[in-house]
Amino acid sequence: MNYVEVSNLSKCFGQNTVFEGINLTIKQGEFVTLLGPSGCGKSTLLRCIAGLNDVDNGNIIVKGEDITHAAPQTRGIGMVFQSYALFPNMTVWDNIAFGLKMQKVSAADLKQQVGKVIELVELNGREQYYPHQLSGGQRQRVALARALVVKPRILLLDEPLSALDARIRKHLREQIRTIQKEMNLTTIFVTHDQEEALTMSDRIFLMNKGEIVQSGTAEEIYTQPASEFVASFMGNYNLLGAKQVHDIFGMSINGKLAIRPESIYVREAGRQYGEHISAPVLANVVSHQLLGNVIRYQVVLSQDETQQPNVVPTPSIIVDMLNRSSERLFEQGTKLELMFNKNEMQEVA
Amino acid sequence: MQNVNLKMSATTYHKTVVYGLVSLLAIPVIATLVYSLAQRWGATITPDGFTFDWYLQLWQDPRFLAAFGRSLLLCFISLAVSCALIIPTIFVVFYYFPRLDSWMNLLILLPFAVPPVVSSVGLLQLYADGPIPIVGTPWVLIGTYFTIALPFMYRALANSLQGINLRDLMDAAHLLGASTPRAFVSIVLPNIRKGLLASLFLSFSFLLGEFVFANILVGTRFETLQVYLYNMRQTSGHFTSALVMSYFFFTLFLTWLATRFSR
Repeated sequence: MNYVEVSNLSKCFGQNTVFEGINLTIKQGEFVTLLGPSGCGKSTLLRCIAGLNDVDNGNIIVKGEDITHAAPQTRGIGMVFQSYALFPNMTVWDNIAFGLKMQKVSAADLKQQVGKVIELVELNGREQYYPHQLSGGQRQRVALARALVVKPRILLLDEPLSALDARIRKHLREQIRTIQKEMNLTTIFVTHDQEEALTMSDRIFLMNKGEIVQSGTAEEIYTQPASEFVASFMGNYNLLGAKQVHDIFGMSINGKLAIRPESIYVREAGRQYGEHISAPVLANVVSHQLLGNVIRYQVVLSQDETQQPNVVPTPSIIVDMLNRSSERLFEQGTKLELMFNKNEMQEVA
Repeated sequence: MQNVNLKMSATTYHKTVVYGLVSLLAIPVIATLVYSLAQRWGATITPDGFTFDWYLQLWQDPRFLAAFGRSLLLCFISLAVSCALIIPTIFVVFYYFPRLDSWMNLLILLPFAVPPVVSSVGLLQLYADGPIPIVGTPWVLIGTYFTIALPFMYRALANSLQGINLRDLMDAAHLLGASTPRAFVSIVLPNIRKGLLASLFLSFSFLLGEFVFANILVGTRFETLQVYLYNMRQTSGHFTSALVMSYFFFTLFLTWLATRFSR
């Protein structure tokens, strides 16, 4: 059962068609991303779902209820804006409490719920600050808290991280994802940053010129681009024309061939592994995270079953591998052999 | 060392110019002040003596108090009308029809473009008879004063609104369940409060000093402060000086309030 269903949605501003015939479905608790270059219509699509722009054609259905023409106040949608849109005349506390006040929640409930969400976004002690007294990252966390506190059916995030510096962006990215999972919140995230989309999303809808050009999981979109646009937008693909492909590989194709740089093996002629490579160590895959051209695995080193059970907790190790997921994407529980390069081991104090 | 000297002489020069200019401009005000406090100041270089009699006489004159009261009343009503009309208008312009802003900027220049003497003749012809014969009543002044206050208030409010991200703030409020009027009251109004107060004080002191329209359109039929001052021109110069100074300090106080609120 789909939680959100957008069918055949169209929107124009005067003569200018922003998007046409958009179809997408989202399951409950899913984190989906609308990804695309600026001007592709992703933000307008988000605003249509929020009810901030009206639509010309098509339907938006949430939980079986048609909200295509419902007022934004009644949709049960929370939104975080790129500009934060915090009310400058209100403190952090009043900003967050605003939605609950509109719902006429009792004072005791309000206090409890606002307090809880302030804790969730780690803003304790900042309740009486005004927005202009906060840093960008703090402001965006207030905006997030303000959207979360009313328990929206859908959370919309309109490029919430683009105005922040890289370190805070990364931290907030993880925080948003953690909270979203914890609350099982159906979330639509808009961004033009492909790395952000790949690391955060359950599913990505890649848009260009008012159309969804490809949709799928991060892995699918990244490793199986359907068109030249997707390939060039998602990574540093080498794009070879049909003639070049024929000359190099002797294959004949109709379109172009996209080859990811990290999928190419390189071996120095005549090189052998020597003393500096350790004997294989057994390990189990715990999880993996796609960082684009790199897949980061978390593994635990497993004990040899014949040995005595070890009292030392099994060490957890992070392993980066170039993304060649078509031939090997190690799922959770896969047994691996690790070999360590002794020359790359650094003793530290 | 030479640099420091240069800098020193530069600031000295600037200070001389500024203080010189201020002193020059202050001379008539100070002279009026002294004259309003002087007992008699005729053939001698210095006054014969000082007294508060002129002020006492002025502030005990029922005609002055009535004129002052009428002026205050006119200003209050005009500004109330201005607020009631301009604040919703500017919100509609900025939120729904941002393109109208450039037209509004043209429109608010009109009161400046047409000299008061010219427009008062036009107003006389329009409102002397016909469907709305209001010449000689305070109503015609209230209407006129609205057009005078419009540019001040529109510019100040427009600046305040440009300082906030109106569209996103309204969108955020809507999504949090607030109706447009509710969002306007709890989010837009508090954020334009400073600009509004500053422009109100400015317009107030400006309107209080308005003479041309008051004299031509209404005259003694509803005597305002400025018309009263004009009619008193034949009486003692000490008395009118006391009147001018009273008015001056009142306006000074208002201007001080305006700058305080606009900070």
